[in-house]
Amino acid sequence: MQDFKRKLKAVRKTALFFGILSLLLTSLSKLMLRISMENESFVKSRNKNITGIQKEPKNTIDALILGDSLSYSAFSPMQLWEQQGITAYVCGQSGQKLQEAYYTLLTAIKSQTPKIVILETNMIFRDQKVVSSLQTTIIEEGSYRIPLFRYHDIWKPLLIGATYGEEMYKGFSLREAVVPYTKGEYMKKSTDKKEISEGVQYYMGKIIDLCKEKNIELLLAATPSPKNYNYRTHNALLNYADERGLKYLEMNLLQQEIGIDWNTDSLDKGDHLNLSGATKVTEYLGNYLRTNYKLSDHRKEAGYESWEKTGKEYSEKIKEKLR
Amino acid sequence: MSYHTSAYLFLFLPLVLLAYQITPKKVRWVTLLAAGYVFSWMVSGKLVIHLIGTSLWSHYIGVWQAWLKLRCHMELEHASKEECANIKKNYKKKERTVLAGGIILLLAILGYLKYYNFFAQNMSQLSATLGRREPLQAKALLLPIGISFYTLQAIGYMVDVYWEKIPPERHPGKIALFLGFFPQIMEGPISMYSQTADTLWKGTSLKGEHLAQGSIRIFWGLFKKMIIADRLYVVVQAIFENYSQYKGAVVAAAAVAYTVQLYMEFSGSMDIVIGSGRMFGIILPENFRQPFFAKNASEFWRRWHITLGVWFKTYVFYPVSMSGIAKRWNRFGRKHLGKHLTKVGISAIALFPVWLCNGLWHGPRWSYIFYGMYYFSILMCGIMLEPVRNKCLEILHINDQMFFWKILQTGKTWIIIFVGELFFRANGLRAGIHMFLSIFRDFDLNKLVDGTLLNLGLDQADFIAIGVGCVVVALYGIVRERNLMGERKLQKLCLPVRWALYYGLILAVVIFGAYGVGYQQVDLIYAGF
Repeated sequence: MQDFKRKLKAVRKTALFFGILSLLLTSLSKLMLRISMENESFVKSRNKNITGIQKEPKNTIDALILGDSLSYSAFSPMQLWEQQGITAYVCGQSGQKLQEAYYTLLTAIKSQTPKIVILETNMIFRDQKVVSSLQTTIIEEGSYRIPLFRYHDIWKPLLIGATYGEEMYKGFSLREAVVPYTKGEYMKKSTDKKEISEGVQYYMGKIIDLCKEKNIELLLAATPSPKNYNYRTHNALLNYADERGLKYLEMNLLQQEIGIDWNTDSLDKGDHLNLSGATKVTEYLGNYLRTNYKLSDHRKEAGYESWEKTGKEYSEKIKEKLR
Repeated sequence: MSYHTSAYLFLFLPLVLLAYQITPKKVRWVTLLAAGYVFSWMVSGKLVIHLIGTSLWSHYIGVWQAWLKLRCHMELEHASKEECANIKKNYKKKERTVLAGGIILLLAILGYLKYYNFFAQNMSQLSATLGRREPLQAKALLLPIGISFYTLQAIGYMVDVYWEKIPPERHPGKIALFLGFFPQIMEGPISMYSQTADTLWKGTSLKGEHLAQGSIRIFWGLFKKMIIADRLYVVVQAIFENYSQYKGAVVAAAAVAYTVQLYMEFSGSMDIVIGSGRMFGIILPENFRQPFFAKNASEFWRRWHITLGVWFKTYVFYPVSMSGIAKRWNRFGRKHLGKHLTKVGISAIALFPVWLCNGLWHGPRWSYIFYGMYYFSILMCGIMLEPVRNKCLEILHINDQMFFWKILQTGKTWIIIFVGELFFRANGLRAGIHMFLSIFRDFDLNKLVDGTLLNLGLDQADFIAIGVGCVVVALYGIVRERNLMGERKLQKLCLPVRWALYYGLILAVVIFGAYGVGYQQVDLIYAGF
């Protein structure tokens, strides 16, 4: 009996310890998240988009864009707004992995009810070894449940006033530098297929299931990038999209329709698109979304005044930059 | 998968703990052994076979020695008094041959995998200098993780059996577990068979207090590694990789920074390792004991990487000190050279192989050999100048227990340590010499505060975190050194104070740790040795 009592006491003590610890972690998480959302410049570049989407007013984003750096170099939400009245947000991160995309989506749908998720497909081919993949999963799961892990170093700007400023519009990175791509045609027909690893397929499956559960359309989009895409990746994506019944937009085969000119539209020798390239890709995407999906035109609707205002500013800025 | 990664801390370790607890007590050793091999396989792949082979070989050599001892006893029972001495001598010789064979094979494999390319490169250079062609080709050799650590443990086991300090182990699983306990595989501590084998084998059930003590020790390790070492890595990397761009105080600061980084990183990972062991109720030997409180180089090595020092002392220093050559020198010296010179000579005979092996053990680089010889020279100077030092103290009426003298001694030891670590970290011996000499060019302390250090990848906040972190570690060091509070006394503190300390430690790691966006996960330094 005494032994039982001692054990019960130990269990209670352990529960109390972890209870207080989780309370501390949760409270600090809320505090750090609030400071991050109030001070965008305190947040480091890679975390800016996942912070930004949480700042958007509830249920205002119709299109959510996931992906690595290709995503925020190619899709401009403010242009989509200006041309189609579609509200979109790019939740891409440099070198984003599928697990990160999944947890970003989970975070975003806490406050948003997007109609469509556009997944830039380059991260599908990002190689992940078993251990590093497990680590990413643990870190992302941890950061999703306890945001303190993601925003833990907010103390640095608070202490020394360091800031991480960047010109971003709803996740789009505005970069107008031009370094042309000169190596010619890269989508040479072939029957080869690039492999999609099992780990990636697992997390793709989770994203697909989540979208189905929340009634969200999922579109796979490969943006023009000679450095990252070729016919092997195209065959792999086409096959995967067929297998899973997904829509797939291969923009690397639509360069003429989009109007890509590699002398003016490349940021860094065919890796990322620059502002000029992004403008063309976004215009094409806008028309594609308008034709293929039932997305509302929110222009002139009440509650979207800030979009109107930022849209005007954005248009002015783009005109000036592309002059 | 290193010990400080989330995969180890939040997945591997908890899963092994769970598997261990649900396994019947009698076969818990199998769970631990399987965990060791899975861990080794995850890092080294197929090379885990070397760890398995080393375990089987050690067992075989031990059993062979046991069989020889048994045969010897049997023959002695039926032998006359005159024959006994001869039989004993014969069997001792056989045992020695078996032991030598056992050690040679392990060292040959270690030597081939770790040092072949170093040897080939130097031989090729020598051939080229002598005008000969046909250089030895370098080979793509892969090293199993932890080979330098578990090879020493295996040799220690064989020698202990030979010396009859321990009985030979009949169960190969017990030796395999002693060499392949997963927290120890990567970086040690290098334990002796008598220290850990039995407790590992016991399969003690998990206990709440052990889990708590282990977890806190792990967090303390993470504090040192993630708050201090991983930040200093950035500065150290920037200066040592571009050493020609820096001189004076900046290079001196780099030497200090690397020493602190290495201590925080290695002792931090040892805390994680020892904490992991503690969770299973296993007490692993300590590897550090406040090394920066040492008053001389010799004491420093009794406090720094203790288990390596003890290993060399036990299996190299003592056998050489007791060898024929040492005895002959002793006799000759006492007759012709006097007490002091005999002591100097015998110290040189015994210390030279110790420090040559110490340098080489760290890796196939001239700078490591230099590092070993550096400490050999310093220790020898200390022994040679001891009478002079004692005389000076006597003339100046200085008591070596006086505070200012202790401070002076500690300061001198710090300089010795920093210079040693500068050569240890430098990209080769030439770079080390260049860096050392560059300290004396344009030495200007202003360089440390004029913003130069802020261009190396860290901001002011990072330096503040390093500084505060070091102060916390130093204060805890003082508390431990003065025996004000060890882990046991910590357990006896009243609950709110103890919990407050625990929460403070955990939150410090979570908030101030150098992880996530903007930081690089830094591999364990000693895992590379």
